[in-house]
Amino acid sequence: MKLPAPSLILLLLLTICFSLATYLQPQTMKWGERAQADSMMKALLGDGRRIFANHFFVKADIYFHSGYYPSIFDQGHREESHSRHMVEGHDDHDEEEHEKAMDIGQPKDWIDRFGRQFYSSSHSHLDKPGQAREILPWLKLSAELDPQRVDTYTVAAYWLRSKLGKPAEAEDFLREGLRANPNSYEILYELGLLYYENHHDLVRSVNLWELALRRWNDQDKAGKKPLEISYNEITTRLAQVEEEQGNLRQALYYRELEKKASPIPDAVQKQIDELKQRLASKTVSQSLK
Amino acid sequence: MNGILEIKDLRVEYPSRGIGEPVKLALKGLNLSVREGEVFGFLGPNGAGKTTTMNVLLGFVNATSGAAYLFGVDVKEPIARQRIGYLPELTYYYKFLTAEELLRFYARIFGIPRGETERRIDNLLKLVELEHARKRPIKTYSKGMQQRVGLAQALINNPDLLILDEPTSGLDPIGRMKVREIIQRLKNEGKTIFFSSHELGEVETVCDRVGILYQGELKVEGRVSDLIQKYQTNLEQIFLQIIGYAQPVNS
Amino acid sequence: MNAVFALSNVVIKELYRRKDFYVLFILTVLITLVMASASLFNDDKIVRYLKEICLLLIWISALAMALGTASRQIPAERENRTIFPLLAKPVTRWHVVLGKFLGCWLACGLALVVFYVFLGLVSASREHTWPVLNYFQAFWLQWIFLAVVIAIVLWGSIIFAAPSSNATICLVFVLGILIVGRYLNQIALQQSEPMRSIIYGIYFIIPHLEFFDVRDLVVHDRGLVGWGACVLVTLYGAAYTLFFLFATWLSFRRKALN
Ligand SMILES: Nc1ncnc2c1ncn2[C@@H]1O[C@H](COP(=O)(O)OP(=O)(O)OP(=O)(O)O)[C@@H](O)[C@H]1O
Ligand SMILES: [Mg+2]
Repeated sequence: MKLPAPSLILLLLLTICFSLATYLQPQTMKWGERAQADSMMKALLGDGRRIFANHFFVKADIYFHSGYYPSIFDQGHREESHSRHMVEGHDDHDEEEHEKAMDIGQPKDWIDRFGRQFYSSSHSHLDKPGQAREILPWLKLSAELDPQRVDTYTVAAYWLRSKLGKPAEAEDFLREGLRANPNSYEILYELGLLYYENHHDLVRSVNLWELALRRWNDQDKAGKKPLEISYNEITTRLAQVEEEQGNLRQALYYRELEKKASPIPDAVQKQIDELKQRLASKTVSQSLK
Repeated sequence: MNGILEIKDLRVEYPSRGIGEPVKLALKGLNLSVREGEVFGFLGPNGAGKTTTMNVLLGFVNATSGAAYLFGVDVKEPIARQRIGYLPELTYYYKFLTAEELLRFYARIFGIPRGETERRIDNLLKLVELEHARKRPIKTYSKGMQQRVGLAQALINNPDLLILDEPTSGLDPIGRMKVREIIQRLKNEGKTIFFSSHELGEVETVCDRVGILYQGELKVEGRVSDLIQKYQTNLEQIFLQIIGYAQPVNS
Repeated sequence: MNAVFALSNVVIKELYRRKDFYVLFILTVLITLVMASASLFNDDKIVRYLKEICLLLIWISALAMALGTASRQIPAERENRTIFPLLAKPVTRWHVVLGKFLGCWLACGLALVVFYVFLGLVSASREHTWPVLNYFQAFWLQWIFLAVVIAIVLWGSIIFAAPSSNATICLVFVLGILIVGRYLNQIALQQSEPMRSIIYGIYFIIPHLEFFDVRDLVVHDRGLVGWGACVLVTLYGAAYTLFFLFATWLSFRRKALN
């Protein structure tokens, strides 16, 4: 088939573009972060991607509530850290607070009342078996856009390993998060939980938690204000495991640490007293022998 | 009032386009009457108000004062248009339809039964010589072909009164001759035809009566033969005299 | 009525002879399939995000089609001067408005059916269920929504000169209602007086198009809307459609054409 001249020119131009591209591509790699962006999203959105990442994280939360969510116009709406209730939602004492934060109030007029039949207007959670999988795509997307946001990894891993029977995928995702955030005590803590609850590998989980505690302390020293609640979680877990293992002295040590950050120091004090008692009786029985 | 088409003291003003610009007086008290069965040629230079007159007859433009009647019914009533056929100037019909689809569409508006519609479409397309292109979308038509489709759609309801705005514009000499033949034939069938044109020769051959409009006023009106007798010259000379381009022969 | 049906028939023919619908449909299919092919933690039962994306694309496509066709109809008739041979027939301007509306609405309805069948296929491939009634409700309400939108756009096409500016204005109006319409009462409460009454007034006057958006319920398997509410909201939509059609006719009725 004979190509008419204009299409030949077009073909020629295309070839030039292509060869220039192959020549220029390695050069542009030197131009900095933007050119090196490994994902297309990053290249397209630049730093604005954080906003989108947050949007998709909230989207996961909306999915967790089956579409029910107070808007910025609703009185109940408040910027809260969503990650916690998404993983602990229904067995926590701040359930009541959560209910309040999620309240969209009584309908104010007939339009409002009538309109509520056409969108998700009652508070509920994804608790049927396997339903929690629906939040995962948004978490994945959020992590794609903002790899520095750690709660994306911990929330996703929580559901994967505890409700969806996918500890391997959870571990992969957590390790991906760890690569992007090597100093994250939250991810280390979650990884420890995975080894503890899913693989029953006490040694590794204790190692991970101890590492998490060290990272927490590092950050504290660096003045980065790490989360108290995480400190509390890590020390509680460590104390529990040590207690189970019978290392009462170690357990006592972690309980003391826990007490410093605990919102309910009295309860912890009780446990400390108990431990001290057991320790005392143990030493007594040992000395008796 | 024996006219099939009556115009009484018709004035039409177009609103001014901007502040300070005067209103445009397109028709200044026009009186006209077309009788049943005659062919009336409506003449006048560009901008004389021919299209405006037709727009009033069809209800597109509202009269500032005066009135117009078709079949004795005020043109404001849509029913007045049941028995007329209209060929507008410069129309680009639905480009994505074919000629036969277009005619079917117009036939459906009149509620013509299916079988009858197909029969009429065959006849009309033969009449305007578009049979070969009947299944092609109208956007592939030449200007003359579009004009012929327009003529066919004006005839779809077998009207008693035809209002044609420059029916021969854009047609080649053979096409023009064809249109003259069609007009002649329709006249023989007893239809009334009211049409505007710039082709004075053709007007002379087919028209019973003519009216010459100039700057919104009807300057001359009468039988072609009477006019030629009165002015002692052909229609073209009369036209030029009236619009002030040529000296009267007998003065 | 002959004229109305004949006119709507032409509009439908136009829509499927122009390639807009095919382009939008193929885009929707492609984007949905690309999204479906993403690997997510080796879990092939995740479906809600797909339904959501597919529905979002359906809403965008339907809105684009409704705005595109409806904003063009009457201006194109005037520009190509087909309105003249048309109105020279025993056709009133009310017929024209009604015929154009019906054509756009039916054409969009046909397209919507195709889109919703695709949505059904996508979700069934993962969930192995056919919530036909839920899809029907979603389809029906969206179709009523389109009726209101088309009527608004037709009115706009008489008022505003250019079809593109009309489409843009209508798009902003419709999106505005969809996004904040539901919350105007709360916004009003946060304002101080003259503004509060003004916003409340707007809240009660505007057509609450967000009623017709039940994507939330479909995506999250929230169950059916009560049929009584469906009937009521259909009547609500029909009332607004008639209102806008009537307004269109009022504006069009006395308009000089040339
Ligand atoms: N929409 C309008 N607004 C203002 N003036 C107009 C409008 N339409 C027509 N006119 C003016 O009215 C006068 C009559 O116009 P009309 O179209 O009736 O002329 P015509 O006799 O059909 O001319 P032609 O032979 O060129 O078709 C012209 O001077 C024209 O400029
Ligand atoms: Mg003219």
